[in-house]
Formats: sequence, C-alpha cells, structure tokens
Amino acid sequence: MMILLAVSIIVFSLMHSVPGGPFDERKGRLPPAAKANILKKYGLDQPVWKQYINYMSHAVRFDFGIPYQRPHTTVAKLISKSWAITVQVGLTTIVVAFGFGILAGIYAAYHQNSWVDTLVTFVSSLGVTVPNFVVAMWLILIFAVSLNWLPMGGWGSSGQCLIDKYFCTDWILPVVAYAIAPMAIVARYTRASIVEVMGEDYVRTARAKGLSEVKVMRKHVLRNAQIPMVTALGTEIPNLITGSIFIESTFRINGLGKYFVTSTLNRDYPMIMATFLLVAFLWGILYLLTDIAYTMIDPRVRLGAKSLS
Amino acid sequence: MKLNESKRSSGWCRFLKFSKQIVGGTTLLSALCLAPSAVLAGGHGLPKDAAPADQQVLRVPCDNTRNEVTFDFAVAVYQRYACIADLFQDTLVDLDKDFNVIPAAAESWSVDASGKVWTFKLSKGLQWSDGTPLTAADYEATFRYSADPSSAWDFTWFYSFIGAGGIKNWSKVVAGEMPTSALGIRAVDDLTLEVETEGVFPPLPGVMKFAFLLSKKALEAHGPYYNNDPDTSVSAGPYVLTEFDPGNRIVVEANPNYKGYRPARLQRIEGIYMSPATFFTAFQQGEVDTVPYEYLTPADFKIIESDPTLKENYLRHFGDFRTDYLLFDTYTAPFNDLNVRKAFAYALDRDAIVKNVYGEIKAMPAHSMLMPGYPASDTKGELTQYQTFDCPKAKKHLADAGYPDGKGFPDQEMWLRGEGPAMSAVYQASAASIAQCLNIQIEVSNKDGKVYMDALNAKPTQLTLGAVSYGMDFLDPANLLGIWVSSGRHSWTNEKFDSMVAEASNLVGDDKKREQMFRDAQKILVDDVGGVFIAHRWQGDLFKPYVQGDSFRVPDSNGISGKHWGNDWYWGNVYITNAK
Repeated sequence: MMILLAVSIIVFSLMHSVPGGPFDERKGRLPPAAKANILKKYGLDQPVWKQYINYMSHAVRFDFGIPYQRPHTTVAKLISKSWAITVQVGLTTIVVAFGFGILAGIYAAYHQNSWVDTLVTFVSSLGVTVPNFVVAMWLILIFAVSLNWLPMGGWGSSGQCLIDKYFCTDWILPVVAYAIAPMAIVARYTRASIVEVMGEDYVRTARAKGLSEVKVMRKHVLRNAQIPMVTALGTEIPNLITGSIFIESTFRINGLGKYFVTSTLNRDYPMIMATFLLVAFLWGILYLLTDIAYTMIDPRVRLGAKSLS
Repeated sequence: MKLNESKRSSGWCRFLKFSKQIVGGTTLLSALCLAPSAVLAGGHGLPKDAAPADQQVLRVPCDNTRNEVTFDFAVAVYQRYACIADLFQDTLVDLDKDFNVIPAAAESWSVDASGKVWTFKLSKGLQWSDGTPLTAADYEATFRYSADPSSAWDFTWFYSFIGAGGIKNWSKVVAGEMPTSALGIRAVDDLTLEVETEGVFPPLPGVMKFAFLLSKKALEAHGPYYNNDPDTSVSAGPYVLTEFDPGNRIVVEANPNYKGYRPARLQRIEGIYMSPATFFTAFQQGEVDTVPYEYLTPADFKIIESDPTLKENYLRHFGDFRTDYLLFDTYTAPFNDLNVRKAFAYALDRDAIVKNVYGEIKAMPAHSMLMPGYPASDTKGELTQYQTFDCPKAKKHLADAGYPDGKGFPDQEMWLRGEGPAMSAVYQASAASIAQCLNIQIEVSNKDGKVYMDALNAKPTQLTLGAVSYGMDFLDPANLLGIWVSSGRHSWTNEKFDSMVAEASNLVGDDKKREQMFRDAQKILVDDVGGVFIAHRWQGDLFKPYVQGDSFRVPDSNGISGKHWGNDWYWGNVYITNAK
C-alpha cells in the first residue's frame, strides 16, 4: 500500500508538471473560455493536491475516471478489455520464453564451451541487443511477406486456431518476437546459475558418492540454482504481462501496451495514473511472490525468519 | 434494425462457411450465404469494368498510434477516426478537382446585399439512416453544439481566426458571453439555412466545406458520441457504421437510406488498425488497398519507383498545400535583426534537402509560403530571389548583423513538434545546412507536441527557433497568409503585411486586385523573412490497380490526378474493378 501511495504521488506530481493538457492546440490556441471550460469539465481547474485527493478517493473504489482518449467508456472498462488480450500475449510469451530459455540454459551449462554453448550465448546476446520491434519486422518480412506462411498481424482473428479463438496462427509471430529478449535473459541467467552451482563442493561430493547424473542435477544443481534464477527472472514477468507498445502496435494487437505511451503523449491523466498503479501493484505482488518462493526453494530463508521472530 | 439483420446475416454466413469446411460445400448453403447480396445498398452506377456489387469492398489501413475519439468533425477535428471519417454526413458544399466549390447537401447558395448573410438551400428529400428527415435544424444544432463552451471544440479557433468570415457572435458565444442561440446560424425553415458573418467574406461558401453535421435528434438522445456505437449511430452520409472496435477494426457499409449527392458504389469499407510501420508491408501482402503518402518511408518509395505498376498507381497531388518552414521569435535577439533572418534564408540549401532527404516525389523546394497551384502563389518564381541558397550572401548578411564568420553568434536550439523520423531528418538537414554555411551551432531538439505548442502559443513566445508545417483549411490566400498576421501564432510583425492581408481578405468584386494584394503581401513575408520556407510537400496515395474512379484517376486541369484534398465525392465514386 505504501508503494502504491508513493507511486501515485510521484506520478501525479510529474504528469501535472508537464506542459499541455487534455485539449488540442496544434493549429491554434483555444479561446480562454473554452479552455477554462474543458479544465473545469475534467476537474483540472482545482489545485493539484485537491485533484489528487479527489482522484485517489475514487480510485480506492476502483473508479479510475473517464479516459480522455476514449470518452465513451471508463478507464476500468478500457483496461479490463485491453489488458485481457495483453495478459494472453504475456502469459504465452512467458511460457515460451521461460520454457525454451531454461532448457537452452541448462543444455548450455551442461555442455560448457561446446558449439551448443557458443550458439546459445550468441543467440542470447543477439536477443538482448536487438530490439523486439526490429525482430518483429524481420519476422513479418520473412514469414508473412516472403514465405507467406503466417499472418502478419492480429490476435485470434486468423481463423486458424487450436481452440476457439485461442492458440491461433496469428499468435506465433508476436509471441516469438516478444519472447526472444526474455528468453535470452532467462537462458543466460540459467546457464550462469547452473555453472556456478556445478562448481560447488557439494556437487562434487554428490558425484563422488556415486549418485547418478540425473539425481545430481535434480537434487543438488537445479534446486540450488533456483534462487538466483527466481530473483533475476521474476522481474521479467510484470514487464511481459503489461504489454509492449512495439509488439502490440506492429502485430495489430489491441492490447494495453500502447496506452502506456499514448496516455502520456495525450496527457490522459486518468489513464496514466491507472496504468502506473497497475504496474506498481503487479511489481509489489511479484516481489511478494518472489519472497514466498524463496522460502519454498531454500529452507534456510524460512528458518532465518523463525529465529528472528 | 437493418444493422442487426446485417449482423445476423454475417454471423450466419460465418457459420455456413465453417460448416462447409467441416462437411464440404453445398449449393444450398452457398445460396443462403449469398442471400444478403440481394439487399446490397452499394453498387450505385457501377461501370462495366466493376466487380460484382457484393465484392465492392475497400480495405484501408488505420494508424493504431493515433489518438482518436470520434467520427465527427463537429465533436473533435483533430481526434477523428481518420481512416474512416466524415462518411456519416454530407457537408453543405464539396470541392471539385480544381478546388471549385460545388453543391453537396446544399443545392444552391446566395448572399444578400450586405454581403454578410448567406442563404444555403438544402436539397430536398435528404434523410438520416433511421428515416428521420434531415433539416436545416440539424445544421443549426450542430453549430450551436460546437460553439458551446462546454463542448470545448478543438476547432473553435477557426471561426475566430478567419476574422470577417467568422460566424456572427462566434467568439462571444465561445467565450460564454452570449447564449448559443445568438450565433449567426439560423434554420429559417426545413430547407433553408442562414449563415451570418461578422464582416464581408467572399470565400465563405468554401469555408462551409467544414459544415459536417450531427443529427439533432441523436445528439439530444445520446450525446455527442452517438456515432461511436452501431446501435445509436445514425448517418446522413453514404455509409453507416456496422462494426466498431476502436484500435482493431471499423466497418462501414453503404447506407440504404442515403438520398444525397454521392451514393456509394462500394458495398463496404473496412478500416484495419495497424502500426504505421507495417502499412506498406500490409499493402504488399494484399491486406489493404491503399496507403497514404505520409506512411511511406524513403525505402518504400525506392521500391515504388522501381516497380512500374506501383509507380503508376502512386498518385501524387497537392494535398492541403502544405509547407514546411522555420519560424523565429523576431521580437528578441538575435532574430530581431533582419540580417540574421536573411542569413538563415540564404543559408538553407533547399534543392539538396528536397533531392536527398525528402525525395523529389514527396516535395518541391519552397521559396515562399504558398505552394505553386494555390491561389495567388508565385508560379513565375519571382520570389525565389528572396529565399534561395546563396551561402556567400548568407555570410555577408550575418557579418552585417555583427557576426562575421559566425563569431559571437549564440548557440541555437531548434525545436521540432514531435516529428517522426522522416520529417526529423528534413529539419536536421535544414539545421545542418544553415549551421555549416554560417559556421554557427544549431542543436535540434524534437519536443513533445504539446510542449512545443505551449511554447509557440505563449505570449511572449518561448520558442526562439522552431520548425513546423502548415496546410490549408480552405482554398484562399486569406487562410495560409492569415496565419502570419501579428495576432496569429508567429512572433513576427509587419504592419503593412497585416493591413494588406486584412484588406484583401474582405475585398469583394475585384478578384484581380485581391489576388495582387495577396501576392504583394507574400512578397513582404518572404523579404522580411517572417519564416524560412523549406519545401512544399507533394502528397499522394498508393492504390492497388483494381481501385478505380474518375475522382482520383482522371487528372485535374493542371494535369494532377490523385485524391485531392476536400474532394468528399471520392467516397461515392471509388470502386473495385473485376481485375481484382
């Protein structure tokens, strides 16, 4: 709650300190009366602290106001509609990125300095350094334009789906483009964690005791490699499930990602606040879950807590 | 009701299509699926080479990064669903390919002896898609809604800006000093609309190009956003809204109850939202049928120019006679010195920028504000001498201003108004050209659009040096020169220019004298360097070869084809050929 409060105060202050407002003066100035009226209409004629209290008193009841970009709906409705799609994209991406990333990391760690390791490291570096909108355009040009294998955009509208409107052919390119960077990060962290644990004395001891490689791997290596992986990789999740303007825009996905940018450009104050609060909330929840995961992975974390109490 | 039937039909059709995939096609199923074509509302006057009426579908790309809130001009001009806008009503007048004013919803108009009261006679039998007759009261209600301060219409400035041409009492109504009923717009009877202006203003009929109306009945029942929902949307235009998923897809279909001057040949227009970066790719893929020029990159143009079919179907035109230029704060140093401004004007290598940055297909060098082809423009090149690339001359002017070889000249920051990559490159090149010639420092800073406009509009201005573009609002020099008068947005004053523009704007009965006055005024503007003019933009659209229609395929009297600005009759003229 303290985090949300702090974020709300900072974001509210920052957005009101930037020039402009929910009116358009691109070609000419609005007459003062019209401008005053629009400020009044949105409650922007009040002192900023009053506006903040007013906003937050409604926000705690999940009333985030009317988005200036979509005046015929509410922020809550707009977010729930667009975020549902973004969450689908995000979760699918998480499955792909973490699934393939962990497998690639483990494989590379077990075959250190082999060509597979080199390949995984190279692809990982490429995944981190090449922006996802560039990857997206490459994928479109290759698989949609040149080969004509897959649709170049949409989400669940290709008509070729596994289940109803889910797992469709138009999911493939956006998910791959979106997953490459986190997959690279996951692979690198996984490899680094496993390599480090594999060099520990207790792993050598386990091997010396004659345990099979599978058991050494499952009981000693993977279990102990999980803590740094959870710490590093958990933070990727909120990023992925709140969307990417580049991926959503390039692949025609009508999700939440673009609102992080357009609401700022359009001085859509209610939408800016709601999106930032959503991100802050997700980060808060995720850190909480990460802490809980520590206690499940490593009993010492739990024991430490007991001794403190 | 029609809409619901249509929706059910398409749902039923989808089901049949699905069944066909599962059990194989049958004649009966196909016949049922084709049934809706029997009640198609489009297909008016289709030429012999046209595809069948049920295949008259145009797919247009929509920019999914735009901020859009309405279909209606009268609600928000700059936040309209741009790819499918202004199809739910007819304005009072339209423009032909030579930009002459032609009848649209109004079949005729006249002005009284005072020159201030215009009477527009509406065509008989016009109606809304729900069957309600369209009357002058709809226009009256629309103007009243737009002028109401509580509407905070983003185009309010316009009717104040045109001075004498402004609708009577507009500024006072907008300021809340008078009720909306005091506005100089009156429905005399069902078919007669009176427009009273503040002063004598000959181009007024052309300004009524912007008289897009709202339904009074729907406005009262559902509020200004009634067109954002197919269930409450009503149309007096050639199309009706049938599917609306903002940011994803918009579909309009031919209006079966349309009685106006541009009945649809097309059966349906589909607006497909996508990233601007993928417009051309989608065009290549065959997912859309047109791409506007502003979404084509230099790389796309290279492909277009090297492909005969694409090249033939890229139709270049004047657009809104847009000019890109640099502006100054001429009230403070260093730009209060005419020599400095002249130095900048002569230091800009326009030809090189057009050739290497814009590409000649997209622009022509500008030496003045009015693009050749626009009324009172400098078609003979008489003004070129005032603003042309001449580096030695530029250096001399800077030296005369007290900055020999650029020494002591303060470093400048040139602001851009949230420009995209293509226009940023143009302005970067402009700054580089000036800086290199004059041996000075100019840093280019691409600002957020609202930050830029706040600084530009501030009095006194907070913008010392900036770059921007402007396109016409109506085809009269009073428009594009009017923005340079001292009460406008630029921080440049020339009393002679002001009085000339004011006098010419109101002059009636002597067109030659009026045009000459505007020419003289423009000479003052370029000679006194109110701004440094970089280029006039050629605009255009890329079409699929099977998209046809005289409105954009047949050239105008200047030999220019393409979808001309303000030619709303295009939407009743465009069709799909059987070559698709």
